[in-house]
Amino acid sequence: MVNSLVPEATGQAHGPRPAGPATSTAPARPAVGGRVRSRRRQAAVAYLFLAPTLLFFAVFLILPLGFALLLSMSHWAGFALGDIRPVGLDNFTGLFADGSTFLAPILTNTLLFALGTVALALAGSVLVATCIDNLRFQGVWRTLYFLPIVTTVVAVGNVWKYMYEPGGLANGVLNALGLDSVAFLTDPDTALPSVVVVQAWASVGSAILILTAGLKSVPESYYEAAALDGAGPVTVFWKITLPLLRPSLLFVTVTQFLTGLQSFALIIVMTKGGPGDATNVAALEMYRQAFSYGDWGTASAAAFVLFVVVLMVTLVQLWIFRRKGEDA
Amino acid sequence: MNRRRFPWLSYLVVVTGAVLTVVPFLDMVMTSFKGPGESGTLPYRFLPQAFDLSNYRAAFHQLDLPVLFRNSVVATALITGSVLLTSSLAGYALAKLRFPGRNFIFRLVLSTMMFPPFLFFIPHFLILVHWPLAGGNDLFGRGGAGLTVSIAALAMPFLVNGFGIFLTRQFMVAIPDEVLEAARIDGAGEFAVWWRIVVPQTKPVLVTLGLLTFVDAWNEYIWALLVSTANPDVMTLPVGIQLLQDHVDPARTMPIVMAGLVLSILPVLVLFLLLQKYYIRGVMLSGLK
Repeated sequence: MVNSLVPEATGQAHGPRPAGPATSTAPARPAVGGRVRSRRRQAAVAYLFLAPTLLFFAVFLILPLGFALLLSMSHWAGFALGDIRPVGLDNFTGLFADGSTFLAPILTNTLLFALGTVALALAGSVLVATCIDNLRFQGVWRTLYFLPIVTTVVAVGNVWKYMYEPGGLANGVLNALGLDSVAFLTDPDTALPSVVVVQAWASVGSAILILTAGLKSVPESYYEAAALDGAGPVTVFWKITLPLLRPSLLFVTVTQFLTGLQSFALIIVMTKGGPGDATNVAALEMYRQAFSYGDWGTASAAAFVLFVVVLMVTLVQLWIFRRKGEDA
Repeated sequence: MNRRRFPWLSYLVVVTGAVLTVVPFLDMVMTSFKGPGESGTLPYRFLPQAFDLSNYRAAFHQLDLPVLFRNSVVATALITGSVLLTSSLAGYALAKLRFPGRNFIFRLVLSTMMFPPFLFFIPHFLILVHWPLAGGNDLFGRGGAGLTVSIAALAMPFLVNGFGIFLTRQFMVAIPDEVLEAARIDGAGEFAVWWRIVVPQTKPVLVTLGLLTFVDAWNEYIWALLVSTANPDVMTLPVGIQLLQDHVDPARTMPIVMAGLVLSILPVLVLFLLLQKYYIRGVMLSGLK
């Protein structure tokens, strides 16, 4: 998510606007004759350069948004466009009606999944990033931790699914330690935490990268002063590193939380939402309503509910970063 | 270097974490060499008894790997090529040309990054199904399967990338106007200015964007799954491997699945290791991956 970059970017976009034939607002350019004509030609060229992009946005952004909104308030279970029947807000009330599984366990699972991955990934990445900062060959370590990120979700999901099996690596280690096997993905109590671990495992690498950038900006003199005062590594970590890392931590937390709310590919690969609804999340429910049951209306309504949740988190994020900007 | 105290503690943490990160990959590779009856059995064994290559041969036949590879390559190439082209074209217009509506279009580009992808799966799929005059459809998109019959369907929703435009624009802004103006005075048209001056100057950011796009496109799963459910001829590597995993007895075919996975992640892994500097910069620029 580049939201934190956006304010700076829009600032730069306020370039001088073309103000008709008057040239007083134009930037310093060599005076060439026929400026009005060249202006007009430049506008034409600009739209030519932008044409593929604008066409794409019209067909794959604006049209789909309208279509999705229409579908969320319609009943439609086929492919013939003439069969779309408007039903108002029925799809939304259906999602939250008594006996619906959408609020619990599905939305609850979504939040638990996002919170769980953020907590695990954050703890892991803070620990590893601060430790890597103390070592040589930092690039090599970071590359290692980065491997899961460039790997397809099908590979990540299947390898972990295999490791969680009765004869897999995870139970092999447990058994070697004299512990009983765990039915990681088939026990409703352990299924969600087991998937959370995998999502966190896969996202630690990018968090380490962002935190490392934050660590590099902590002045060396702070550590030297702390050493003169005889502070131990734990004190240094809590009193210097963590407070100065706050902006990066905030960024990682919010962006990973947003990613967590939207993830479902890993769950499709590993559990398909099961056992029961134990690992079902909102985006997966949307997907299943649409492509397993052919209920486009309910699916689109579920997508919009999740979108509102994501939007609220995004707005909170913007608010936090803007407030921080004013403090600084 | 006073902060470098207790390095053994740091080593302990970093090495433990690295082992946890790498072991699943090693388990994948080891399993891909295991013979029949060697995987999924108790007690668990990490190493294969003999390095058996037959799983790779089996993956080749059971998965129709050449076709899956071709589909993945074509889709990835279409997406990467189109994103690079449209991003550098639009980025140039937004960075260096003056025209009415520029700020509005730039805001539109930024706003595209705010919409979560899951919102688009259903409408994109239905739009492709009802694409006019394709796959047996009439002018109003009725009667046929639309664009879902084409390999291009894998790439369509990803051909333009708001983040890509934003990224290239940010770098193009830094090119001095005087350089472009000099070329224009020498008689170069805007297209020549873009191709001969702006594109070469922004090569590093284009490499970064290309690599990010390549990795994402190669690893794309959900959309590829949707399209290949409608038309199995355009199945990609991840979808094909997952299908094998789902439909055949996992205990017996696990080594074959793992062999397929090793082959499917190799191209990305090699590219990443060669160009990781660019990739890592891209992730830091985008902040999230």
